[in-house]
Order: sequence, then C-alpha cells, then structure tokens
Amino acid sequence: MDFEKIEYKKAGEVLYSYEHDSGLKAFVIPRRGYLKKYAAFATNYGSIDSEFIIPGQEDVTRVPDGIAHFLEHKLFEQKDGNVMEKFSRLGSNPNAYTSFNKTVYLFSCTDRFDENFSLLLDYVQNPYITQESVENEKGIIGQEIMMYQDNPDWKVHFNLLKALYEKHPVRIDIAGTIDSISRIDRDTLYKCYNTFYHPSNMIILAVGDVDPESVFEMVEGSIPHSKPQPPVSRIYPEETGAVHTDYIEERLAVSIPMFQMGYKGGFYGEKGIELLMYETAVKLVLELLIGRSSDLYEQLYSEGLINSSFGADASVEKQYAFSVLGGESPDPVQVRERFCHVLETAKKNGLDRAACERLIRSFRGRFMRQFNSVERISHSFISVYFKGVSMFDYLDVYDKITFEYVNEVLHEHFKPESLAMSVIRPV
Amino acid sequence: METGFDAGRPVRVSSFNGIDIYRVNTDKFKTSSIHFFFQDNLTRENVTKNALLPAVMRRGSMSYPTQRDISKELESLYGASFDCGVTKKGERHIIHFYTEFLSKQYVPDGTDTFAAALSLLFDIIARPALVNGRFSDEYLAQEKDNLRIRIEGRVNDKMSYSVDRCMEEMCRNEPFEIYDYGFVEDLAGITADELTAHYRTMLETFPMQVYLVGSITDGEAEKVSELLSGLERGNTVALRNGFARKEKADIRHVTEEMNVTQGKLCLGCRTNTAPDSDDYPALMVYNGILGGGIHSKLFRNVREKASLAYYCYSMLEKFKGLMVISSGIDISNKQKALDIMEEQLDDMAKGNISDYEMEATVKSMETGIKSLTDSQMNIVDFYLSQTIAGTRDDFSTIMEKIRKVTKDDVKAAAQRIVRDTVYFLTAADSAGNQ
Repeated sequence: MDFEKIEYKKAGEVLYSYEHDSGLKAFVIPRRGYLKKYAAFATNYGSIDSEFIIPGQEDVTRVPDGIAHFLEHKLFEQKDGNVMEKFSRLGSNPNAYTSFNKTVYLFSCTDRFDENFSLLLDYVQNPYITQESVENEKGIIGQEIMMYQDNPDWKVHFNLLKALYEKHPVRIDIAGTIDSISRIDRDTLYKCYNTFYHPSNMIILAVGDVDPESVFEMVEGSIPHSKPQPPVSRIYPEETGAVHTDYIEERLAVSIPMFQMGYKGGFYGEKGIELLMYETAVKLVLELLIGRSSDLYEQLYSEGLINSSFGADASVEKQYAFSVLGGESPDPVQVRERFCHVLETAKKNGLDRAACERLIRSFRGRFMRQFNSVERISHSFISVYFKGVSMFDYLDVYDKITFEYVNEVLHEHFKPESLAMSVIRPV
Repeated sequence: METGFDAGRPVRVSSFNGIDIYRVNTDKFKTSSIHFFFQDNLTRENVTKNALLPAVMRRGSMSYPTQRDISKELESLYGASFDCGVTKKGERHIIHFYTEFLSKQYVPDGTDTFAAALSLLFDIIARPALVNGRFSDEYLAQEKDNLRIRIEGRVNDKMSYSVDRCMEEMCRNEPFEIYDYGFVEDLAGITADELTAHYRTMLETFPMQVYLVGSITDGEAEKVSELLSGLERGNTVALRNGFARKEKADIRHVTEEMNVTQGKLCLGCRTNTAPDSDDYPALMVYNGILGGGIHSKLFRNVREKASLAYYCYSMLEKFKGLMVISSGIDISNKQKALDIMEEQLDDMAKGNISDYEMEATVKSMETGIKSLTDSQMNIVDFYLSQTIAGTRDDFSTIMEKIRKVTKDDVKAAAQRIVRDTVYFLTAADSAGNQ
C-alpha cells in the first residue's frame, strides 16, 4: 500500500498521507502515549455554499440557508436507526460541526478504534433521510437557533459579519433561520449531499495512537473506486472592500455592553501559504497594537475601558478574510477611537521591530502547544487543509515572515473604510 | 517513564507546613505546567476578598510590576500562559494560579523554561507589587470594578446561569449558595490594608496543593520544595466539604424573568450519596444513564423523541451532593418537558434500565475517564478533587469500581434521589408562564 511519510523535525511530529483514486485524501498524525483516538471525515462544504452549479449541469442551483448544517444533523439518521446509538454501544463520542466552509463528522474513543472508524466511514457515505425525520429535526434545530438568539457572544459576532458584508453568505447564521429551515425538504438535502459529499471533495484524518497503514487500508476498503468528480462551481456574490454598514447595535439581556469591531480584508490569496502568511501578519499587527503586551491594552485596561475578556483574532479564507477585536466595555465607541488613533500613528511611524520578533516567538510556542490536544490538532489540520496547505506550514511562515511584510499588511488590511463595529447593549 | 493509563498517577514529592507538592511525570505533552491551589472554606466573610486577591495579584509582582511586564515575559517564553482565579468545589473556595510552558526539548534556543516560568509564578504569588507595604489603591479600585462587572455578568451566559441559580435556590441558607466571585455590595468595604492582611492569611494559613505536570526532573521538583519551605506558614485552616443529606422535600418552584427567547428549565435534586461513600460510583453510573450523553434517557426522550430541545442533560455536584437536569426549551413547553424529565427519574427509581443503557453508560464513562489522562488540566483537577472528597482513587481504580456497579446499585442510587427545586428562566410576561 502506497502512502507518504513526512517528518517535521522542529515540531517533533510526523504526518502520514494517502490518496485514494476517487480523489479522497486521508491523513494520520500519530500521538504515542495518548489514550484518546480521534478521527474525522470532512467535506469542503459549509453554510456559505448555498448557490452552485452541479457538475454536468448548466443551471444554477439555489438552496435554503442553513441546509449544510441541517444535513449534518440528518446524516446521523440511518436505515436501521440513529447511528449515535451504535457509537454509544462502543462507548465513543460521535459529534459533528458545520462552519462557513466545511462540515466535519468525527468521533473520539479510547478503545475499539477500528470499529468506530468503520462506523464513521459507513454512515457518512450512506445517508438515509425521510421526510418525517426532516420535520422532526426542524423542532430540534429550531431550539438550537433560539439558543443562539440568547447568546450575546454569538450575536455580537454575527452582527459584525452582517455589518462587514452586504451580500456574501458569511453574514448569515450557519444554522439558517426558523424561516429558511422551514423550506428544507428531503429532496434538496439529497441534492446537496450528492453534490458535495463526493470523495474528491472530502478528507479523512485520524489522530492518536493508531497505525497509519491499517487506517489507510480501511479507507481503501470502504470508499468506492471512482474517478474524481470535477469541482463544483460555487457562486459567491461580489463584495467591495467597503463595509456594508459601519455600526450595528442590538439590545439583549446582558449586564454590560459587548462589542466586536473588525476589518474586512480585500485580500483573497490563491495559494494557501499566502493565506497563512497574511493571517499571521494581521494577527501580529493586532497583538502589536492592542495585545496584552501593548501600551494601548495597558492604558485601556487601567481606565476600565476593557477587561480581561478582550481578545483579537483573524480569519482568512480563499473567499473572505476579516479581523476581529472585542470584549466587554462600558464605552465601545471610545475603544474604537483609541484603537484607530494608535493605528494611524503606527502607519506613520512604523511598528516595533523587537516586539514583533518577540511575538513571532510566542506564536511559535502557541502553535506547538496545539499538539497537546487531539481535538485541536484535528480542528486546525482540517481548517488549514481546505485552504490548500498543511498546518505544519505555519512553522515555515514563522521562519519566513518579515517585519517589512507585517508593515505592508498594516497598511493594506487596516483601512478606515473597511472597519465596522457591532455592539450589544443591555436592555 | 510510564505512558498510557498510569501516566497520570501523581507522586507526592513532599509535604510540610500544610503544603503538599505532587509531581505527575509524563513526556507525552509538548508543555509542562505548574499549578498552585490555596483552599479556604466558602464563607460570606471571605468569598469576595478571595475573589479579589488573584485579580489584584495578577496586576504585577516585584520583578514584573505591571501586567504588561508579565505579558512580555510570557511572550518571550515562547507563548507561555499564566492564569489565576477562584472556583468552588462543594463548600470549599479555591484560589488557583497556574503557568504552562513549552518543555525544554521543544525550545529552539535551550531556554530553561521551567526555571523561568516557576520564577515568574512564584514572584506573582509570594512577592506581589506592594506600595508602602500594601496593595496599590489604583489596582484595587480597578479590580473591584472588574469583579463587579464579572459578578453582574453572570446573567450573560444563560445556560450556566440557570444551572448555578438552580443549585443556589436548592441550597439557600447553606454556605453553598454563595457565588464563587462574591458579592457586589461587599466590594466597597474592602480596603487595601484589609486585602493585604487577607493576602497574608492566604499565604500563611490556607492549605496549599502544588502540582507539577510534564517532563519535570527530580532537581526541578526539589527546587519547588526548597522555594516553598522559605514561606512563613502558621496554623492552617481546617476545611469542610459541605456534603448534606436532605431526604424529604416539597418541590419548590422558582421562576425568574429575563429578556430571553428560549426558556431554561432546571430540575435540581439532592443525591444523598456522599462523595467518599462506596455508593458514589453507582451514583455516577445513575447520572450517566439519566443524562450523561447521547445514550441517556433525557437525550433520547426530551430531544430525539419529543423534539423539545437541542440540549438536555444531567450533571452532578459531587461534593455537596446535588444533581441538576438542564434543558433549553420553548417557553410554552415547560410542563411537557418537566413531565418527561420526571418520568425519567421515576423510571430509574423503578429500576427500568436496559442492558444497552447500562453498557453504553459504563463504556462512555470509561472513555471519559481515560481521556482525562490526555490533558494536564484534567489530570490535576481529578486528583485535586480526590483529595477534597477524601478518596484515594486513581484513574484505574475508579474505573474498576464503575465496572462493578450493578443495575440494583443504580436503582438504589435512584431511590436516594430527592427532587428539590424546579427553576425556570423565562421571558418577562410570557404567555407560557405558570
């Protein structure tokens, strides 16, 4: 059996990879000494893929919002009952999640990995959806949507995306709305399944104390041999660099205002490594300007304008990119002004080179720490893989990223017209 | 070095002056960590001061006088982390400080990360930044404000708020009802002098547990003992757990109104099973069958069959002897959901437990317990909880005990469960209110 072994000496890690002739790729990251074993079966299909052209057809298909997530719920249903029961007989924990651009089915177990793994391979490939079970699921997902309506952290984030984007579907809740899911039926679910769950659009990953060869043999034996499917063309509305609206506010039962502000990135890299480089640079700028070791953080904290809930992050994908910073504040608008002031000063005077080097060192350590957790390895590996690179490429990014490039991104990403703010205020 | 199931077994390095130092040696992680716990009894008098202490202490130490200095040091140490805070386990109030850092073998330039991280953590704990012998008024004022925000911010996460409130309502007039982060109205009266005196009380009299996890050498463990033997210690506080039995109760209904779209329904019960009793493993299995995952009665009946909720589970508060069933539902479905929850409790008390439920629960608990050994934080928490409960189990002995639990044991545990309080978080003026 043919598979590849790549050693990453600096990280003390090994990656095994295998390609099935259907186009499916499978990977193993071994963890000696760990009792938890983890496997994921993921498709490059998420909540933003609601308009597409099915390979071989000419017309555009438009499906209701929230259908990728709905399908995720329904795959657990099998002809002979709910597959969760089979996993729980084995004592393992099955789960699944849907994000903007992927749906991931997974389990973690400590014993009987092979049985669990073949169960995973089997149910993800064999949907059994009835109209009756679709109707039943609407009640459950309806409560999931309602739960998020009362979650201020979720609300403040999705409101920011609504402010940043005018048309792009990242502005829509992953689960859709009560109204959009009411329009989901069995046939549309199958249509999406058949379009996006072709092996060539999917990957498999196992993490833990498992034998790579036996994992790949099981994949080989379970996935039907077929030709790779041509890529699905996905249609995303065009967005300008400017934000849809620069401020959005909502009232919820919270004790203190919460805010997120963020920049809509105009950069859409084709090569994955560029995406990682850009993401790292945006994060470095945020840390330099308002991270825990910055002047601004110390000042805002001392003045009671931010507290330890404050944080910053960046999300960079092929189809969209944005940065986010936020937390709780009695006066979010003042935090924004103060940040913008420091930002403009940095654009004039440049960033702090020594601090930048220290932060890259910190990023490197934090990257290494991810390998303590099988869940985090899996999550990170799959996200980065669908950008067209490997998570291990971060090590290269930390070696190669230059202070000059970070300065460039400071000017390129953080433009006044790309800034929006979302605030949740107490009722 | 041991790996696998036994990797997480702690060895006591030394014990003196009410300080116990444990080492958990394992090389499977990329990082190592150092944890300090100071334990107190949960009391109205101390709770707010205990919560303020780590908040003020994290602002700076003698060698790292500002938060910014601490952050810079952590960044230089390859993104090491440091955190501190308070938590309650039963009626104990625990102040914890920890640091986690890349182990030496993964550091490109040979930095002695253990020594550096220990020195930072110890500086924060034992050498706080004092002004004229007391905490800075400025830091104190700011952290009082942050703590007030934190206490008031309890309502922001409705799921955990509803479970906490249910337990507090069950335990009114018992110390357990005290919220971990204290009382807003007690903040104003705390002066810098008083908090500094309380700091000395903590450092001198609170029983202390220290855990060193990861690739720790003998020399490094000794270094920690040496450092701590320099601390001035007095007589240590005698601690209680707060376990209470309550055999009979009229069910109390508590409704709280808030601006919410989804109702949160909690049913709180007394377990009447002490954390150190031989019956405790049966209670764990009971909870697993009732609401501990996708195989459980609550998940299958409230979510899958009745389609009333996205989540429905039960959880134990081991030390105090409580169990809470929690679910997020449409407000108009309160009675329907409550009926199904109560049916499951009745079912369990009658001993209606299928082989599937029993088997899936025990296996899922086994997976859960083994998985704890893959996280440093979980290993430490497991062993700290053992010392609080007064038990001496490790991961394999607890598993053996769980495997021996029979359906009759579970039924007996079920019959000790007493329903106590129904708590409902609902929308203001909602039609579904009763």
